[in-house]
This record gives sequence, C-alpha cells and structure tokens, in this order.
Amino acid sequence: MLGPALLLLGIFVVIPMLLTIWLSFQNWSSETGFDTAHFVGLSNFQEIFGRASVGRDFKNALVNTALYTGGSVVLLLPLSVLFGLLVYQDRVRGGVILRTILFSTYMVPMIAVALVFSKLYAPADGPLNEILGVFGLPGSAWLSSPDTALGSVVLLNVWQQVGYFTVLAVAGLTQIPGSVYEAAAIDGAHAIQRFFGITLPLLRRTLLFSAVIAVINAVQVFEPVALITQGGPVGATNVLTYHIRRVGIERSEGGLGSAMAVTLMLALIVMIVALFALARRGGDEA
Amino acid sequence: MTARTISFYGPFRRKPALGDWLVLTAIIVVAVMAAFPLVWMVLASLETPAETMRTPPVWFPATPNLNAYGQVAGVIDAGRSFINSAIVATVTTAGILLTSLLAGFAFAKYEFRGRSWLFAAVIATMFLPPIITLIPLYRLVGYLHIDGNLAGVIVPNLANAFGIFLMRQFIRGVPNELIDAARIDGASELRVVFSVVAPSVVPAIAALALFAFVYHWNSYLWPLTVLEGNTSQYPIVISLSRLLSYNRGAMNTGLVMAGATMAVLPPVILFVILQRFFVDSIVNTGVKG
Repeated sequence: MLGPALLLLGIFVVIPMLLTIWLSFQNWSSETGFDTAHFVGLSNFQEIFGRASVGRDFKNALVNTALYTGGSVVLLLPLSVLFGLLVYQDRVRGGVILRTILFSTYMVPMIAVALVFSKLYAPADGPLNEILGVFGLPGSAWLSSPDTALGSVVLLNVWQQVGYFTVLAVAGLTQIPGSVYEAAAIDGAHAIQRFFGITLPLLRRTLLFSAVIAVINAVQVFEPVALITQGGPVGATNVLTYHIRRVGIERSEGGLGSAMAVTLMLALIVMIVALFALARRGGDEA
Repeated sequence: MTARTISFYGPFRRKPALGDWLVLTAIIVVAVMAAFPLVWMVLASLETPAETMRTPPVWFPATPNLNAYGQVAGVIDAGRSFINSAIVATVTTAGILLTSLLAGFAFAKYEFRGRSWLFAAVIATMFLPPIITLIPLYRLVGYLHIDGNLAGVIVPNLANAFGIFLMRQFIRGVPNELIDAARIDGASELRVVFSVVAPSVVPAIAALALFAFVYHWNSYLWPLTVLEGNTSQYPIVISLSRLLSYNRGAMNTGLVMAGATMAVLPPVILFVILQRFFVDSIVNTGVKG
C-alpha cells in the first residue's frame, strides 16, 4: 500500500534533498555526473557569503527574498481576515460570489498573471497609472524602477494568492462558536471589541497555518522574475528561486547552487520555528 | 442560526442599515479589484493592435474580434502545447490519485510500528520548496534517461505529500466495520481500497483531482528546467513565455493576452464548476488538521 508513494517520494524528494546537502560541500558542475564531485569542505559557503560578486549577488537575493516574503505575509494575513469577514458575514448577500472571484485568481497560472501585470504596470500611461490618475493619485514606475520593482512583484503575488488565504480564514471563522459572541454581546462588547477580543485570538491557529504556507509560497516566486524582470532592475527583484536556478543550472555551478539551497532551507526552518514560538507566546498571554 | 425568510430587500437580508451599505460597498470594491486584471486580459485580447497601442489606454474594444487568437497559433504551436499540458496534467493527476489513495489508506487504517514518524516525515516533504531539490533532481532524471521529454515532467510528481495527507484525513472517517465486512467476504486489500474505501471518499478524490490537475497544468519551474529548450514538448504555460519576445511592443498586447486567456481558461473553468470540493477540502485539511 505504502510502496509506490514511499518509493516515489524517496527517489524524487528525499534522495535529491540529501544530495543537495552533500553537494553543498562539493565542487561540482551540474553538467556532469555526481561522480565528478569532489569535497571542498565549507568553501562553497565561504564563497556565497564572501565579498566577491558571487557573495554580493547571493546576499542581495537573500535580502530580496526576505523582504518579499515579509511583505507578502504582512499584506496577505490582514487582508485574508478582512476579506474572510466579508465572505462569512450574513448581513448582505454576495459573500459566496466574492469567494468565487477571489479564489479563481488562485487558479490562474502564475505565468499568465505575470504577462497581464507586465502590461498593467506599464510606467507611462499604463492602465494602472491611468486608474490611479482618475483618483488623483500619482502614478508609479512599478517594475521599471529599482525602488518599486520588488514591491510591485509583492502586489502581484498578493493579488493572486489572497483568495486562498481568505478561504482559510473563513474556515477558521466557522470554527468560532456563535455562543461566544452572544456572551460578549450580553456583556456589552461592541463590534471592534468583539473582533480584537474574540475573533482575532480564536483565529490564532488559522493565522499560524496561513503564515507558514504564505512563507513557503513566497520563497517559490519565480515566473514574474524570470519572465519580466530577469532579476532587475539592478538586482532589485533577484530572488532566491530565480538566483539558485541561474547559478546551479544555467551556469552549471552545482556546488554553489546547492550551498545556496541549503542556506535557504536552514533559513526557512528558523523562520517556521520562530513563527510557532511567536504563536505559542501569544497563546500564553491570551 | 435563524430560519431564513424570503427577502424583499435585494442583496440585504433585512431592512438595510448604514452598516449593511458599508459591507455591500466593501464586497463590490474587493470583487472589482480582484476581477479587474482578468477582465482586462480578456478585453485586451479582443482589441485590434491599433487599440492596444493607444494612450490613454482603450478599455473596451470598439469591435471585439478574435484575430489575436488566430495569431497566437502562428507564433507558438498552441495545439501541440495544449495536448502536452493535457497529457502532463491528466497523467500526473491519475498517478497522484492512485498513490495517495493507497498510502492514505495505509496511514489511516493500518497499525504498524513507526507509523506516526513515517507520516510526519511524509508531511515534512510538503513544506519543502521545489528549488531545494531542483539541482540534483535535474541530474537525476538524466540518469533515468527521461530528461527532455514529458516523462521527465511527469514521473517525479506521481506521488505527493499533500495528496497522501488529504486522503488519510478523509479515509480515517470511513467506518472500520465497512472495511472488515469486505475482508470477511474475501476481498483482497486492493479490492477493499477500490470498491469500499474509494466510493466513500468521492468528494476528497474530486478535490484532489482538481488540485493536482490545476497545479500541474500551471506548473512552470520544473517543466522549464527538465525540458531544456525542447519546444515540441512544451506545455502551454511554457510556450506562453515564448510570446515574451512579442511582449515588448504594445502592438502585440492583444496577441499576448489572447495566449494568456487560452492558458487560463481550463483551470478557472474547472474551478468554477467544482469549487465546492476545493473549499471543503481546504476546510478539512487546513484548519481542523
């Protein structure tokens, strides 16, 4: 029963993961077989954190990925709760339609999202700048300026993924028993007190789960960068998935790429442990 | 819960108060913002090249036409790409359903030493971003001689942790009496899975099938890496990126948006028809855990 699944996961997930760790200590060209690798100790790690261009590019990609991930999580979680409340409320019809529209963006291939936004973000008289103009707001250079490019990719990502996190938030809201709200209403708590006193604390597990998934999804950003910006302008959107693939496969520097992948894996583990710790501490205070 | 009565208040459930108007406005604003890029994509695909070049932008085509869709076929082999996408998504989905059903059954209903740590190890792979394993995997499929073709795209994805997790969650709810009764009747374990367990978890199978199909229809990083420029094997999402060279000038916006619309339609239509299963499975796996 377990045979097929475990065999496949073993060959195509577990073994490659162990190989990545092993290769991170090797000098190896990904154009050649694994037998050509030779041990170089920690020198790959020294190089990717060093002062030469390899190190500068990698550290830049690491920082960009951290900013991108942070930006995505910070926008996605509050919006998912807000939109979740709009879907879940029953004062007004339309919640289910809103859910359908929001979630259908999550079904759209990222490559199509990237193509559409590459046009919407056109800097001079582009559609988005035109709309901002209607509301009297200044336009943005979007993807064409190093100051705004990474933020523009974050917005594109938030647009695509918020529906998924909204559905998670709705699932969390359904778990909160109505009796808790009734008790609070009897105690005279108004809507804002009820939200911060009941809804938010009881959504803690949902939000923790959402945060973990949002982080894992965010480090996978690839298509908009590969398709539109190629990591630019001046490295502003060079993120790790794009950078690791470029170094490890396009430039065949398999050892260096693997050391970067291992670093990413360690960073993710630290981040997820920190999120759990944060959620637990918040739980003790509540 | 109060009983729902027939409403005479349109979108409102009772005589609208100020708060109801605010909620309605918020719903409309969010829905418009969410739908806008996709609506714009479809509208732009129906415009003439002259219209897509105009500034300020033309929002609605004067005479909607499908010329751009015909042009896409001239730039990329759209038919072939669609068949490739359909093969990848269908075969991968079938494989995932099979391996997930079997493994989910074992994790849900078999008692064996080390079950919980083995299950935890499987779940852990769910949180592994694909880039972590991309470099050795790229070499590994070379050893298996499946690089550069659809088999290389499909085979490494025939099992996944999410599928096993989803199936295990739902199969746990299948009564043991039902399974034991089939065994007493002399059914083999495989027969138990396919004729007793599977029919009891049809909604989960539908959800997993849709998730897997959409995910692998949309998948980009792995096919791009493993196919190594072998354009005859490209799925539609990879072929779309070849429209990139036509993406520079505003003149070809209609062409690019027509290609994007074509790639978007299958997953979005599938979702709209079957969204009930998606949403239920997220509730069951995401939060109740």
